[in-house]
Amino acid sequence: MTRVAVLLSLGKHPASGRSRRAGLDARALELALDLARGMPDAEVRAVHAGDPANEALRDYLGMGIETLDVLDVAPGHDPVSALAGFLRAGRFDLVLCGMRAEAGEGSGMVPYLIAETLEYAVVCDAAAIACAEVGARVVQALPRGRRREVTVVLPAVVAVNAAAYPARAPAFARSRRGRIAVHPAKVCEDAYLAACETRPWRALPKRMALASGVSAAERMKALTEVKAGEGHLLVHPSPEDAAKAIYDYLIEKRILQARGSKEEGG
Amino acid sequence: MRVRRDPRGEREACRLAGHGRLRFVLSIAKSKGARPRRAPRALRLAATVTTAPRLRIAWKGGITPHAGRTDMAACAPAETVSIVAEPAFYVLVVPEAGSDGELGETGRQLLAAARLLADRGNGAVCVLGDGDGDYGPAGADRVLTLATSDPGGYDPEHRVAGIIDAISVISPRHVLFSETPEGGDIARRVGARLGERLFPGVEALEPCAEGGMRVLRRMAGNGPAQLASPPRLISIMPDAFAPHVGPPHEGRPLDALAPVVPERRIVSALPLPVDPDAIPLAEADFLLSGGNGVTDWQAFAELAAALGATRAGSRVVCDQGHLPRERQVGASGTLVTAGCYFALGISGAAQHLQGIARVAHVVAVNTDLHAEMIKRADLAIIADAQKVMPALVRLLAERRGRVR
Repeated sequence: MTRVAVLLSLGKHPASGRSRRAGLDARALELALDLARGMPDAEVRAVHAGDPANEALRDYLGMGIETLDVLDVAPGHDPVSALAGFLRAGRFDLVLCGMRAEAGEGSGMVPYLIAETLEYAVVCDAAAIACAEVGARVVQALPRGRRREVTVVLPAVVAVNAAAYPARAPAFARSRRGRIAVHPAKVCEDAYLAACETRPWRALPKRMALASGVSAAERMKALTEVKAGEGHLLVHPSPEDAAKAIYDYLIEKRILQARGSKEEGG
Repeated sequence: MRVRRDPRGEREACRLAGHGRLRFVLSIAKSKGARPRRAPRALRLAATVTTAPRLRIAWKGGITPHAGRTDMAACAPAETVSIVAEPAFYVLVVPEAGSDGELGETGRQLLAAARLLADRGNGAVCVLGDGDGDYGPAGADRVLTLATSDPGGYDPEHRVAGIIDAISVISPRHVLFSETPEGGDIARRVGARLGERLFPGVEALEPCAEGGMRVLRRMAGNGPAQLASPPRLISIMPDAFAPHVGPPHEGRPLDALAPVVPERRIVSALPLPVDPDAIPLAEADFLLSGGNGVTDWQAFAELAAALGATRAGSRVVCDQGHLPRERQVGASGTLVTAGCYFALGISGAAQHLQGIARVAHVVAVNTDLHAEMIKRADLAIIADAQKVMPALVRLLAERRGRVR
């Protein structure tokens, strides 16, 4: 039997600032529900550390879970120890969560700290997940649209990326019917975060691409002029010569060769 | 200092006395004037410290001026290597792994941020290199080499073990990571392993009242700015700092590390083939773009498949419905950041050129020699795209066949 836990946090609407379900955590729950649909013996538990009275938590219940476990953690307190205690007691094989929170510090450390505390493996940037014989196969979303499949031994913490399949819309009746189970939690205040100074965000000056030290006229020129190319020019070559020139250029700049080596790797 | 002449006094000395009429005897020896005369040009030349990059004159002394006017060539590149022989502390820089010891753009920015931290005290920047790259010009004083077991493979736990080994060897005051997907993952793994707080995604370093530096980041969800004195583990946002431009540093190699390899929990990793047309245009690395000069869209699709390039187009072809609207490149479409942009039959309207401003390499095929795109292109070919496309498809098939 595979036991899956999903860590859910509360999101914040970027414009209005209202509480809502967090996009990445909802994607993680969607992946878990998808995984459970393919495996009849899988069990999915959802857990949140925070205020159990928040209405936005019902959005997660509306996605199709019966019970949401909420560890009662006051704001400004570190939820990692409470979450780790809950997960250790539950002996989960797979812990899913979003890469980082939408509100608060948003350091993205929670999956790593939990994995370190429980001595689990950790995989980030997950876009899809499937169970294999030895563990779980996770598809990672990399920059430039690339994908990588890694096999990780269980138990593991998997952090979900925005490239994962979007979460389903919450159903209203289910969100009303679902149960929120509150557990007391022993946590300590996050002293470091409280000691940090905060102030309203002010946009930083845009960094100029040009080094200082050159004259003002040169900086102005570099900022305003259209970048000219290297300027290799072939006028009316035969199609074969043109194709050869393009091919050689792409090879020289490692645009085609890189692709070839990638294919060999795959 | 020349003696200042006194013409009136000299004249008086030559006058013969006694007669009613003025008479002068010019053969009489000229008197020496009492007051020495200033030579302003010579004074200025003697006080000139530098003439480039800007004129600097030390009138009050204090700085030993050059003997004469220093010329541009001798002054501009000061080819002296900065050496920090006895560092008070170390700043360890962990650039992204891979790419054969080459320091990428984010790596250079990371070294520049490390220089800012190190130069406040007498610190040295130590970079964790993975090859025999030259890190000195980018601002590294020391280079620690961490051999990668499997270049191109994915084994973050191995790399974390190496980084922790490096931290225990040189015990740096700060460790800098880059806040990219891969660098951020490594930074958080190291933070969790050491049980130390990571200050992630630093946007700026700002001086504070006590004379030190503070790091600044933005909290999640368009939140407020968070400031703290720099902790040990810091990750730096890409493009937050300009690369190092000062004199090159030493880049002296230290002894290579041989970390204990942990048991692999991420058992295997392999890249998956991706449909190029499924990649969002802004993210794609290789774009094949068609414009009004393309009429054979079948050949265009075949060429895109043969090259493995993402298809894109100009506004005209998207208006005509040859490509969907989300494939449009330009000011009203997508501003692309590809490594290579292959333009077929695109003349290069100003709005289109804005869209490809951040592309590294541009190849253009067009029938018009005077098109703007031809000026922008790194390789420009004056030919009909309909003839070049099948020829390139044939050439690619031929080369692929020979390789296999």
